[in-house]
Amino acid sequence: MIRLLIILVLMLPASAFAELEFSNARIKNLPPTVPVRAGYVSIHNPGAAPVIVVGARSERFASVEFHRSLMQDGMMRMEPVSELTIAAGSSLELEPGGLHMMMMQPLQPTRPGESIELFLLLQDGSEQLLPMEVIK
Amino acid sequence: MNKSSIAIVAVIALLAGFGLSWYAHVDKPIELESGLWFGEQARALPEFELIDHNRQPLTRSDLNGQWSLIFFGFTHCPDICPIGLQTLADMVRAIDDPDVSAALRVYFVSVDPERDRPEVLADYVGYFNPGFTGATAAIDKLTPLTQSLGIAHVIRNKTDGNPDYDVDHSAAMVLINPAGEYAGLFGAPQDAAAMARDMTRIIERNPL
Repeated sequence: MIRLLIILVLMLPASAFAELEFSNARIKNLPPTVPVRAGYVSIHNPGAAPVIVVGARSERFASVEFHRSLMQDGMMRMEPVSELTIAAGSSLELEPGGLHMMMMQPLQPTRPGESIELFLLLQDGSEQLLPMEVIK
Repeated sequence: MNKSSIAIVAVIALLAGFGLSWYAHVDKPIELESGLWFGEQARALPEFELIDHNRQPLTRSDLNGQWSLIFFGFTHCPDICPIGLQTLADMVRAIDDPDVSAALRVYFVSVDPERDRPEVLADYVGYFNPGFTGATAAIDKLTPLTQSLGIAHVIRNKTDGNPDYDVDHSAAMVLINPAGEYAGLFGAPQDAAAMARDMTRIIERNPL
């Protein structure tokens, strides 16, 4: 019981600072032979202060990074993005062909229709749960 | 002017109208809403030999007698390449005319031959549409084809033991006509419904 309480108290900061709102969070599925997936989501910050996302993790992937697809010299290329800043009262779109999440090395097969838990790591040290739906 | 001359003038005017509309229909260049149509500027592809996802050779002559859309990319590309292939799959589904669908083939050519073995490509293209063909070749065999199409591709950050290198590549889709000529281009980002209408326009005007 005491251990449970300690765990609950330890978890408190994460939920206490949970302030981002998500919509249309999805992972584009690919066949199991392909070791990468892209994730997209609309992130809204209803708060009065900017929120900075410094990373993401999921138990289903070896790593999750933020990337941006951009056109350069007539070619599409991807560049890592180290952090996302969502200004107070505004939204940030992670969308096909632009800023997106790159999930590397699924640790088990992903299936359309399932929900995958992702955690966004915020600059204040807290984490926020982001459920993502796998789409065909 | 008496009644019979009025009738003659009317008939001549009518015939001229028919003639003009027929002439306009035949000679009017194809206008695409989502791509570029080269018309008379279509030019022959160089000879090439790729390996398809069934480990069979894919050469220029295999493209004769059909319309072909070719998209270049690599399977370790999480964003742009699945978008392109999904767009092509949606486009095929959006084409109503069965003669148009039957005349059109879709190819995904990997510019990352080291990681994209034929069996990987078979899995990958089949995920989007079982009728799509995946193909690749060693870079020195790919380059004459990609250069002739204006498709750029560069492998980046590749060092020994780094399996996560990137490949920058043009995301355009190229159109090859039944004579094996480079006939049109759809630049990124493509729209499936608009491409379906464009391909229908092209193939209905130029049936096999």
